[in-house]
Amino acid sequence: MSFLEDYVHYGGCFALIMVGLYVVLVKSNLIKVIIGINLIDTGINLFLISAGYIRTGTAPIFSGAAQEPGKMVDPVPQALVLTAIVIGVSVLALALSLAIRLHGHYDTLDLRKIKELRW
Amino acid sequence: MSPILLIAVPLGLAFIIPLLALASRKLPAYVPAVGMLFNLVVSLYLLPSVLSKPIVVRTAGFAPPFSIHLVAGPLGILLAALIALVGLLVAIYATGYIREGSVPRYHALYLLLLVGATGIVLTGDLFNLFVFFEILCISSYALVGYRGDKAGIESAVKYLIQGAIGSSLVLVGIGFLYGLFGTLSMADIAGNIHSVRPITVFISMAFLVTGFGVEAAIFPLNAWLPDAHSSAPSSISAILSGIAIKAGLYAVARVLFTVYGAETFLPFILVLGLLTLLVGEMSAFSQNNIKRLLAYSSMGQMGLIVFALGLASAASVEGALFLVVSHGLAKALLFLSVGYMIYRTGSMEISSLHGMAKRMPVSSLCFAIGAFSLVGLPPFIGFPGKFMVVRAALEKGDALYTVLVAIALLGTVVEGAYFFRIVQGLYFKPAPEGAVAETGEGREAPFSALLPACVLAAAILVVGVCPQILTDYVGPAASDLLDKAAYIRHVLGV
Repeated sequence: MSFLEDYVHYGGCFALIMVGLYVVLVKSNLIKVIIGINLIDTGINLFLISAGYIRTGTAPIFSGAAQEPGKMVDPVPQALVLTAIVIGVSVLALALSLAIRLHGHYDTLDLRKIKELRW
Repeated sequence: MSPILLIAVPLGLAFIIPLLALASRKLPAYVPAVGMLFNLVVSLYLLPSVLSKPIVVRTAGFAPPFSIHLVAGPLGILLAALIALVGLLVAIYATGYIREGSVPRYHALYLLLLVGATGIVLTGDLFNLFVFFEILCISSYALVGYRGDKAGIESAVKYLIQGAIGSSLVLVGIGFLYGLFGTLSMADIAGNIHSVRPITVFISMAFLVTGFGVEAAIFPLNAWLPDAHSSAPSSISAILSGIAIKAGLYAVARVLFTVYGAETFLPFILVLGLLTLLVGEMSAFSQNNIKRLLAYSSMGQMGLIVFALGLASAASVEGALFLVVSHGLAKALLFLSVGYMIYRTGSMEISSLHGMAKRMPVSSLCFAIGAFSLVGLPPFIGFPGKFMVVRAALEKGDALYTVLVAIALLGTVVEGAYFFRIVQGLYFKPAPEGAVAETGEGREAPFSALLPACVLAAAILVVGVCPQILTDYVGPAASDLLDKAAYIRHVLGV
């Protein structure tokens, strides 16, 4: 059982990423596609956090004398996730503003109806 | 002079632009040119000194692998110089070309795009690579839709969705690598790559190569390219085709050669390159829209470069880097010279450009030079590049490679067919009925557009006549990419 306990969160992250990917690939509404991209981002952020997490770990601050370095949670993935969240938010904002402009041109967000450009 | 200035100065200038826009309406347009001129001078100043030993910039006083560090090797500085040169010329072009819309925002985003590209080629940290990659991508999504017209917005949305998925894959790959090695320094990962099972490494490599491959326009991942490159304003098309996809390709090459040293994976890359080449050139051949044609031709050229990288001998990588420079210059020239032709005629159809040589002689001449260079005619810069790749493939001495390079040259023949057709139209076909009367504009493009085009054309000719100017730098740059042990030694100092 310990294998499952140790790795179950990775399964959760990848399930979230797969759900996001499914939404992006299958749904034709642009807003849903953007939500799918956001789900993928969230899954990846969880993945990064769990890669550096230690159960019952402490914050990596070396102020107290009794701190054990081996019990500290790795701070680097958390810094990465902060950056990734900021990037995700800016992509999301840009995507939504483009969606508004697209709706202004076509009066629809259905990607099946928006196909003027072709190979 | 520290290479960090190549990133810091344009980044600072990009955020000064909105402030300057409050004070003056004209000033923001000149800021990108100033920033890129600075970058060009600094990178040309640094270029001779990095040939012997790369400069490793530490941040916060920590030595690699514990800090985010820049590695300014011959390849990085050479590409930074290329980015600065093309960026400077396109910035001069844009001072006159970009009139409508929110002009300061255009220039701020444009400068950020170039900062992203420069950061990609200089960084030695995998996550930092991702951050600069996102700076490049987000500003190019916004610039593709800059004019806000139907086609621009639609292709920006397409580009954004595909690019966002690509970036997510990159982040997953980085997460895997961090989980395995506990470090983000590319040199440190490269040094320990053989300490884990190959299959676990392969998973992360597949994620990284697929993710960066979206921006590098490698065949099954490049559906966004023709739309984005053709719907953007011409100055942005020039930068996207000349610089942005090269930055993506650099990321793929750096990850494959330096981080993974994946020799067994390269034949697959070779085949992908060949497919990209054939699909790009065939699709370009059937286009009637001049900008879509140029976009597909970029795809084809990228295929040739990927093909040359996949051959993975020192000579072929030199050829590939030579082609990176030659395609960057030539494609920028083509988009710039065609920009005002489209502006004057109001149409992107190739037939509307017939007889242009009488109305816009300088632009037409520049277009012809760029087209001949891309096809690979001798006095232009495209010829030595293609020649180096073909020779490198034949030097491999295997019949298989001879067949493959023959297929690649078939792509060049197709390329010649459609470029000669356009140039023939420009010079020898009569102008369409009423074209001159309708627009009332037989005028040549303004000086701000002709100057960059002529400088690019001159550079193409000069380097084409004496390729030694470039080959002196391309050789060390190729070994920077291929010689993994030296890269690790320089960065980690062991």
